[in-house]
Amino acid sequence: MSKGCRVETRHFMLPKEGSTAEECEDALAFDAGALRFAVADGATEAFDARRWAERLALEWVGAVRAPLTAREFGAWLGEQAAWLHASWEGRTLSWYAEEKRRAGSFAAFAGLRLEAAKGRVGWRALALGDSCLVQRRGGETVAALPLSNHEEFGSTPPLAPSSESLRAAALSRLVEAEGRAEPGDTFLLATDALSAWYFEALARRPEAAEEFDSLLAASDNESLAALVRRERAALRMRDDDVAALRIRLLPA
Amino acid sequence: MAYTAQITRANPTLIVFLLDQSGSMADPFGAEQGARKADFVARAVNHALHDLVIRCTKTEEVRDYYHVAVVGYGRAVGVGLGGALAGFGVAPVSAVADNPARIESGYRRVPDGAGGFVEMPVRFPVWVHPQAEGGTPMCRALGHVREILEGWLSAHPRGFPPTVLHLTDGESSDGDPGEAGAAVMSLGTDDGRVLLFNCHVSASRSRKVEYPSEESQCPDGFARSLFRISSTLPKNFLDAAQQLGVTAADGSRGFVFNADPSSVVQFYEIGTSLTGMAPHIWMEE
Repeated sequence: MSKGCRVETRHFMLPKEGSTAEECEDALAFDAGALRFAVADGATEAFDARRWAERLALEWVGAVRAPLTAREFGAWLGEQAAWLHASWEGRTLSWYAEEKRRAGSFAAFAGLRLEAAKGRVGWRALALGDSCLVQRRGGETVAALPLSNHEEFGSTPPLAPSSESLRAAALSRLVEAEGRAEPGDTFLLATDALSAWYFEALARRPEAAEEFDSLLAASDNESLAALVRRERAALRMRDDDVAALRIRLLPA
Repeated sequence: MAYTAQITRANPTLIVFLLDQSGSMADPFGAEQGARKADFVARAVNHALHDLVIRCTKTEEVRDYYHVAVVGYGRAVGVGLGGALAGFGVAPVSAVADNPARIESGYRRVPDGAGGFVEMPVRFPVWVHPQAEGGTPMCRALGHVREILEGWLSAHPRGFPPTVLHLTDGESSDGDPGEAGAAVMSLGTDDGRVLLFNCHVSASRSRKVEYPSEESQCPDGFARSLFRISSTLPKNFLDAAQQLGVTAADGSRGFVFNADPSSVVQFYEIGTSLTGMAPHIWMEE
C-alpha cells in the first residue's frame, strides 16, 4: 500500500457472447502500491488490437512516471506504438492483413492516478475514447469522464492510434481531469458497453447500478457475469467485451 | 422487430450481387475516357467485396460474418466470381478473401489525420471481371438467385436475412420481373424477409431518382416495375444512407433509377453497410 492512502481494488472482465477469454480485446491493469489504474479497449476492427490494449494498460500503470498530460501521453504513446510496430516487422501477410497492419492499431484508454499528500488524497486522470472513469461518493456521482451520459456513446469514438500520422488528431480529443477524493469514495474504470449501461442505470434504474456495485465490491464475478448476460439478453447492454476496475478509498 | 439480428459468425448473413452483364453494359459510363458501364460496375463490386473482407478481418483472420454470392446475367445466367471460386454459388467471406482471381497493385489516397491526404501503396484484389454480352434475362436471373437463397436459407434459417443487390441498365428481355422479384422477397429468416435492392444505371442525363418512397416518384413503367420489387430500407440501412448524405427517409425503397457513377458507389456502400463490426473512420477514403 502507498503511504497515506489505502485502496481496495476489484476487477471483472467478460468477453462478448460467443467469444473466448483469449479473444477479449479489453484490458485492465493496476498497481495499488503506485496508486495507478487503467483500462483499455482494443478496437475490434484494428490489427493486433488485443496486444495494443494490453500494452497501453500495462505500460501506463508501470511507467516510471505516469503520463498525465497530453504532451506526456503523446510522447509515451509514440514509444508504445514503436514497440508494437517493431513487433510486426518481418511478417509476410495476406493482402487483407497487410492492409489492416498499414492502418495500425487502435484502442480506447482511461487511466487514473491517486495522489496522497498532507493528509489529503487527490486524483488525476486522462481518457481518450469511450472507456470511462466515474467517481462516486455516498450514492452520488462526483465526476465522470470523458463521457457522463449513455447517449453520448457513438460508433466512432476517438481512439489512441498506433499510427504516427493519426496521433496528433487523436490527442486533440484527449480528456484530462483532476479532483479530490475522500475515504469511502469509489472510482469505476470501465470500457464502453459497461460504461454506457452504468450511466443509463444510474439515471433510470439505480437499483441495477447498485446491484452491479455490490457484486463488484464483493468480487462475486460469477453473479456479475450473470448480470451482464441478463442485461445483454434484454438489449439493455450492448454485446461487447466488458472490463471493470473498481477502486475504493479506505480510511488512512 | 425485423432486421435487428446481430450478425455473428454463428449467424452470418448473405449478400448477393446480381449483375446485369448484357451487351448494353458496354456503353460508355463515368468520367474516365473509354470506360464502360461494365468496367465501372465490376470495379464498384470488387471495391465492395474488398471492403467487406477488410471489415471482417481481425488481425490476420477473416471472420465469416458474411457469405457472398455473385450472379451475372447476359448471354447466360451464372456465377460471377472468378478464379478458384468460379464453381461456387455461395462462398464465405474468408474464402472470398483468400481467392481473388488476381491482385493488382496501386495507390490509394488516405487521410493523414491532420486534414490532408497521403498516397499509400495498396493491393487491389479482383474477383469480378467486366462482361457485356447478350440480352437481359432478368426473370431467369432472379429465379437463379431464388434457388441460391433457398439453399442457403435452409441451412441458415435464423439471423439477419440475405440482401440482394441488383444492378441493371435496361429492361428485362424475358418478361416482367415482378413475379420473380416477389418470389425472392417472399423468402426470409426469423428476422425478416430477404431484402432486394435495385439500382438502374444510365449514361443519359435523365433525372435520377434515389430511394423513393412513393411509386408516383418513378418516371415510367419500367421504373415502377423495379420500384415494386424493391424492399423498404430497414432502419440500419437508412442510417447508413443518411450518413452518406443520401436523401432517404422512413419508407424509402432500396431503389435508384437513372443512377450516375456516384449513385452506384453509394448503392453498394449502403447495401453492404451492415457488419458484425462497426465501420470506423480510418476505413474511409
